Amino acid sequence: MSPYIIETGGLTRSYGDICALKPLDLQVPEGEWLSVMGHSGSGKSTLMNLVGGLDRPTGGTLQVGGENLLALTEDGLARFRRNFVGIIFQQHHLVPYLTAIENVMMAQYFHSMPDEAEARHALERVGLGHRLKNRPGELSGGEQQRVCIARAIINSPKLLLGDEPTGNLDHKSTIMVMELLKELRGEERFTVIMVTHNQDVAAWGDRTIHLDDGMLVREERMNCQ
Amino acid sequence: MLFRLLKNSFLKRPKSVLLVFISIVMGASVATAFLGISGEISHKMALELRSYGANILLEPSAVEGGGFLREDDLPKIKTVFWKYNITGFTPYLFGVADFSANGKRERGIVSGTWFAKNLEVAGEEPSVQGVRGIAPWWDVQGGWPAGPDEAIVGAALAKRLGSAIGGHVEATVRGKQQRFQVVGIVTTGGYEEEQLFAPLITTQELLQLPGKVSRVQVSALTVPMDAFGMKNPAQMTKEEYEKWYCTAYVTSVAKNVEEVMAGSRAKPIWQIASAEGSLLKKLNSLMLLLTILALVASAMAVSTSLMASMAERSPEIALMKAIGADRYQISAIFIGETLIISVIGGMVGYLLGDQLAGIISRTVFNSTIASPFWLFPTAIISAFVVAFAGSVAPLRRALSIEPVRVLKG
Amino acid sequence: MIAVKLIPHLLAALCLLLVLLRCFASRRKSVLLTSVCGLSAGAFTVLLLRSMPVVSPYLLLKSLLGVGFLALWGVSVAVNYRKNAVALDKNEGGIVSSVAALAGTLLAAFAAGGIAIAKLSDTALATFPPVLLLLVVVIVAVIVGGGATFLEKQLSPRVTITPVGMVVAVVALLLFSASSILRLDLFSPLSMKVMKGVHDLVHQSMESVLIPDHVFVRPVVWKYIGFLFGKEVGFWGGMVIWFTPPVLIALAVSSRKLPSVGHIRQGAQRRKLLAGALREQRLQLLLPLFSLCVLAGAAYQSSFPTVEYWDPKPIPVVANEGGMIILPKKGDILLEDGKIHKYLFKQKEREARFFVLLTPDGQLTVDLDACAICKPDGYGQAEGSVICYYCKTLIPLDTVGKPGGCNPVPIPFTVKDDAVVIDALTLINTWGATVQATTRVKEGGK
Repeated sequence: MSPYIIETGGLTRSYGDICALKPLDLQVPEGEWLSVMGHSGSGKSTLMNLVGGLDRPTGGTLQVGGENLLALTEDGLARFRRNFVGIIFQQHHLVPYLTAIENVMMAQYFHSMPDEAEARHALERVGLGHRLKNRPGELSGGEQQRVCIARAIINSPKLLLGDEPTGNLDHKSTIMVMELLKELRGEERFTVIMVTHNQDVAAWGDRTIHLDDGMLVREERMNCQ
Repeated sequence: MLFRLLKNSFLKRPKSVLLVFISIVMGASVATAFLGISGEISHKMALELRSYGANILLEPSAVEGGGFLREDDLPKIKTVFWKYNITGFTPYLFGVADFSANGKRERGIVSGTWFAKNLEVAGEEPSVQGVRGIAPWWDVQGGWPAGPDEAIVGAALAKRLGSAIGGHVEATVRGKQQRFQVVGIVTTGGYEEEQLFAPLITTQELLQLPGKVSRVQVSALTVPMDAFGMKNPAQMTKEEYEKWYCTAYVTSVAKNVEEVMAGSRAKPIWQIASAEGSLLKKLNSLMLLLTILALVASAMAVSTSLMASMAERSPEIALMKAIGADRYQISAIFIGETLIISVIGGMVGYLLGDQLAGIISRTVFNSTIASPFWLFPTAIISAFVVAFAGSVAPLRRALSIEPVRVLKG
Repeated sequence: MIAVKLIPHLLAALCLLLVLLRCFASRRKSVLLTSVCGLSAGAFTVLLLRSMPVVSPYLLLKSLLGVGFLALWGVSVAVNYRKNAVALDKNEGGIVSSVAALAGTLLAAFAAGGIAIAKLSDTALATFPPVLLLLVVVIVAVIVGGGATFLEKQLSPRVTITPVGMVVAVVALLLFSASSILRLDLFSPLSMKVMKGVHDLVHQSMESVLIPDHVFVRPVVWKYIGFLFGKEVGFWGGMVIWFTPPVLIALAVSSRKLPSVGHIRQGAQRRKLLAGALREQRLQLLLPLFSLCVLAGAAYQSSFPTVEYWDPKPIPVVANEGGMIILPKKGDILLEDGKIHKYLFKQKEREARFFVLLTPDGQLTVDLDACAICKPDGYGQAEGSVICYYCKTLIPLDTVGKPGGCNPVPIPFTVKDDAVVIDALTLINTWGATVQATTRVKEGGK
């Protein structure tokens, strides 16, 4: 068993002539919190999509949790995502006509089967026990993001991906969300990969890599804060 | 959960759901109406054709016999080669008479016939012949005549005369009078309603034509005409003629009967029937074509509105895919949605279509319509067909959505 | 035409093989081989038995089907009784031994092949030379086997079939296949038996208990008793017996306990396990429900058979020393069942074909299988009439036994000691005269 949860070798992704990700070798040990930084268009979102099984690389090798993502069919990738990955988006992407708890239960439904008690518990854990029956439109940005977190962790993923999860939040909410993530990570022991261009947010991680124009340009290791 | 998803998605987007629903209802109701009418027309036509229960008509040939057939020849019909195929026959003798009843005088036709005569032919099984056997669709209120001076009156004639069951009708022909007791009123939907039916023997006396018959209706079991049956018997080889003669074509049975009735000419009535049959076929295929066109049109409407709502919903679908829904789960949601809409749409379409069929048949065909049971499943199935034909393309579109592209940012 | 007739049977065989292959997935190759052999062997056996004059292949097939249905009943009761004790409804490799699996496969395929070939009439088969026929049978069996293998490969590996599901599907498919053949159908005889059973029961209890009181039984009560004698009782009773096994099996599957998940702490894992078990259960309900539909189809086919002429193969008979042909009314053949029974009588070079029929008005009649005018192609029986194969004329059953027209030529006979006695000489002479006359006419025309 490899100690790394993610292993890439010469990973590339190009859209036509544009090369979004130049050959990249990356290893992420299990349990690490990795921050990915870079300007927009630097390939950081592409990297996250590849690792999360949302997109397919055009070259190289990609092993996530011992699974060769290049060999999976479309449905295989869907199964990989539901069993292995939790995703938090910048725009939250909650289904507008479902209540908070239903949004969480939908993830349960696609994973296996819905369980309302468990979904309620998950929302209580992110501090939304009082807003179960509210639709996303009735929630603040921070609350929406916390629903999104509850949805991402409900299926106990090994890998949590965050695509600028705090990009739309004010400072106070950002701190709240990051604290929450840290706390949950302490309990659930998932690996975190977080894309951000905010130095402060990146500092929450164990390690930060900087991407520029699809290439890894710098890597820094944080010490415990 | 699936149910919750569907319920919420319906409630959230009533407009686009309504659009799809209306398209499906349109398709289902048009299909129901058209198929219902065409079924009803077939039914009506079939009834009409069945009123020619007799399929061979024996008339005096113009050349000989002085315009009448002989009653004495009738039993011979039961002795012909095809006797077992002849299920019944009945003679008629027609004459114009002046009827009077309740003080009203009307001119009409007196028709002598057998109602249910016990026919005994030497060497054959006794049988019962007459109108009752050959025209089972006659709707007689009251009873059938039993005595020689009892008669049944056609509904139209009865109305003109104002006569009712139990009353009397006086018939006068060239000075000779006969008083009939009315025991029944007959409704047939045809020219018979203008006539008075009396026992043959009485009519012969009244018309002073003893032993004469104007025409004989024969009902025979026959095989459908094929190419061979259409051939002219006169031009057949001996072998072919043998085969033609011993095949129960309506023509060969007619010929067989003609041979024993002196001075008669037998006309198979199937010619009328087959002409109507082909008309019916054309009408039906036209209806079917229109139905298919209507279904295709509404399927396209469904497809268009689903496509539009799919564009609107693509972020949602992309999200479902991103959090791990595979193709089956996505399809289940959309097919479930279509299924619900089409079941309800089918039912509503059935109700509407039924009404529509009623209106059409009242205004166009001037007849009321009894909706047959099979129309309900037809409506539901056509709703399904429309819904699924219409959702193939949108579903493919939904399945081809790439979450990465839609969920950017 | 032949191919069209066979399509439902071949489809049933295909499904049957598919189910067997998936159920015994670990022994795919041997099961495939066995089933192809079984299909051909069944077809061969039926062909062989049909070519022999006296033995009827239908009895064999029908008893096989009957045993299958009884076995299905046994299995359905067993899975309910010992729900969790026996792993019959679990799909684990070693539960059915390899010998049992192969034997079952062989029997099922044998029956399927036999039924399919029994669908074809003698005249249809006679158009093929025997060697070619055997070859075609083997080729078709191989094609069916290949098709089943192909489909099995396409089937998602998540779909598993338990031995119980296999039994119910196989028996249902065989009964469906058999239901379109009058002589192999089980549903109609079943409802008939139920009707007769109820009838006898009511009758006997009346006789033993109520005879002295008959006059006191109120008319209302008689109405209910009368209902028991009706046709509906047989039909609905038959339906109940027919559909109970798959329903029982479905009940057993759906009432099976789900795995206990209380000890698993992580919600996602717990849900996964539960969802898997639920899916498995639903999958296993699929075959009993499918079988229910198939059995309903069989009952429908049996109740509304497609119009086909009942045309039994003539049974050879001989005359005794007195020159008399004696046909017992009861015995292997029930002469008075309202169907035509054809016989073939041979004497030296001459032969005569005739049939015995109980007409609807209750008269027995013996007639030549030919009429006075047509070529002696014989008659087949349809609903309420017989048809002359030569001129396609329908002759009402009531008039069979009367001479004239295209009616079959009647033969004088007597009834003695519950047997029909026919003078062989009269028979052969009448046949000779009739056939000579009709063929002379035909040839004279040339």
